[in-house]
Amino acid sequence: MISVQGLHKYFGSLKVLNGIDCEIKAQEVVVVIGPSGSGKSTFLRCLNQLEEATAGRVVVDGVEITDPQCDINKVRQRVGMVFQRFNLFPHMNVLKNIALAPVKVKGLPQEEAEQIARELLAKVGLLDNAEALPDELSGGQQQRVAIARALAMQPKIMLFDEPTSALDPEMVGEVLAVMKSLAREGMTMVVVTHEMGFAREVADRVIFMDEGLIVEEGAPEAIFKNPQHPRTQAFLSKIL
Amino acid sequence: MEILNLYLTHLMKAAPALLRGALITIEITAMSVFFGTLIGLVVGLGRLSPSKLLSRLAAVYVDVIRGTPLLVQVFIIYFGIPALLTQLSEPGHTVRIAPFMAAIIACSINSGAYVAEIFRAGIQSVEKGQMEAARSLGMTRGQAMRYIILPQAFRRVVPPLGNEFIALMKDTSILSAIGVEELVRKGQLYVSVTYQPFPIYVGIALVYLVLTVTISRWVAYTERRLGVK
Repeated sequence: MISVQGLHKYFGSLKVLNGIDCEIKAQEVVVVIGPSGSGKSTFLRCLNQLEEATAGRVVVDGVEITDPQCDINKVRQRVGMVFQRFNLFPHMNVLKNIALAPVKVKGLPQEEAEQIARELLAKVGLLDNAEALPDELSGGQQQRVAIARALAMQPKIMLFDEPTSALDPEMVGEVLAVMKSLAREGMTMVVVTHEMGFAREVADRVIFMDEGLIVEEGAPEAIFKNPQHPRTQAFLSKIL
Repeated sequence: MEILNLYLTHLMKAAPALLRGALITIEITAMSVFFGTLIGLVVGLGRLSPSKLLSRLAAVYVDVIRGTPLLVQVFIIYFGIPALLTQLSEPGHTVRIAPFMAAIIACSINSGAYVAEIFRAGIQSVEKGQMEAARSLGMTRGQAMRYIILPQAFRRVVPPLGNEFIALMKDTSILSAIGVEELVRKGQLYVSVTYQPFPIYVGIALVYLVLTVTISRWVAYTERRLGVK
């Protein structure tokens, strides 16, 4: 589903990604962990070209997005993204937040898009808040709306960029619950997170990144119980 | 008391002419606000365009217009360009431009530069995550601008736009220099006949005050209606 070869990313002279190779299969749930500054968010953002790769190849759902000729907007319709700071559109209500892209990008009729939006709101437990403005919701509720908004485009892949890092602790659970149910339904997911419990329970594979490289990867059991690389061991000993 | 009566008499006599002048001031301001906002939106978006050429052009426009006096711009458009065109055209042919037309062109071009900066700042004040969220859903840059960024930017630029429109209205007073019969020019004409500068110019100041206060009330109302924070 996703194939990354020799991915390099520089910001000016700062080297952030230093040659990433990675294959992600359909329906796989991959959790990316690592210290801050390790490049994990940049890696994720290269998967839908919010960051442009400096060198290397990224192929998503059969399309090479690192090819300048590719229609990135088409690819992004199939790749949903959830951000740390939610990034809901503050000037429209919850329902319109979700229905906007299906109408404007896919050309669905408004009623059909709103029907989809309502179904997704029911799924994330926020049907009663359809008419609310984002500001009127708690962080956890906003993030669930953001997930629904991404799902409204019926993506094949979902990218999560530290989706619970900006939340008050008591709201983390409700967002993780939605993500878990998504994983159970077979969504292909790449999740950058510090929630090790989630990684353990839901991930098919955990990737540990440091200094712009994949240092170690494997089943969560293996990574958490028996890390091989000293840097993985050092990182895990600090946070577990 | 006698002098007050004299002044009031002059003011009453001048009132019809001054009101006709005020109407011209309002017309020029309204047209220039309209075209200036259009120019400002285009130039402001150009300034933020990914195209280096467009953004350079927009920056040069803003620098040149903001860096030169409005009076000189008015003179260039009213005297300079018609004279140039006259010299370029066949002998005996004279190019002229109506003062009213020159006034609207100059004020629109001038205001456009300031409005462009207001729009640019407004657009840039919208969090980067908004554009990213819109693009991640498959919207083009243009769609993201239209549906997500600009609606948020418009709310934020209402207060500075109000300031700009008030400044523009006051600046139209210099158009008296090319004989546009706006408020100040009407007053000058009256004063040149009656030699009563005090009541007339104070009266003119009061008319400007009424007009600018009206604009600022209207801006405040728009702010409330749009829920500007």
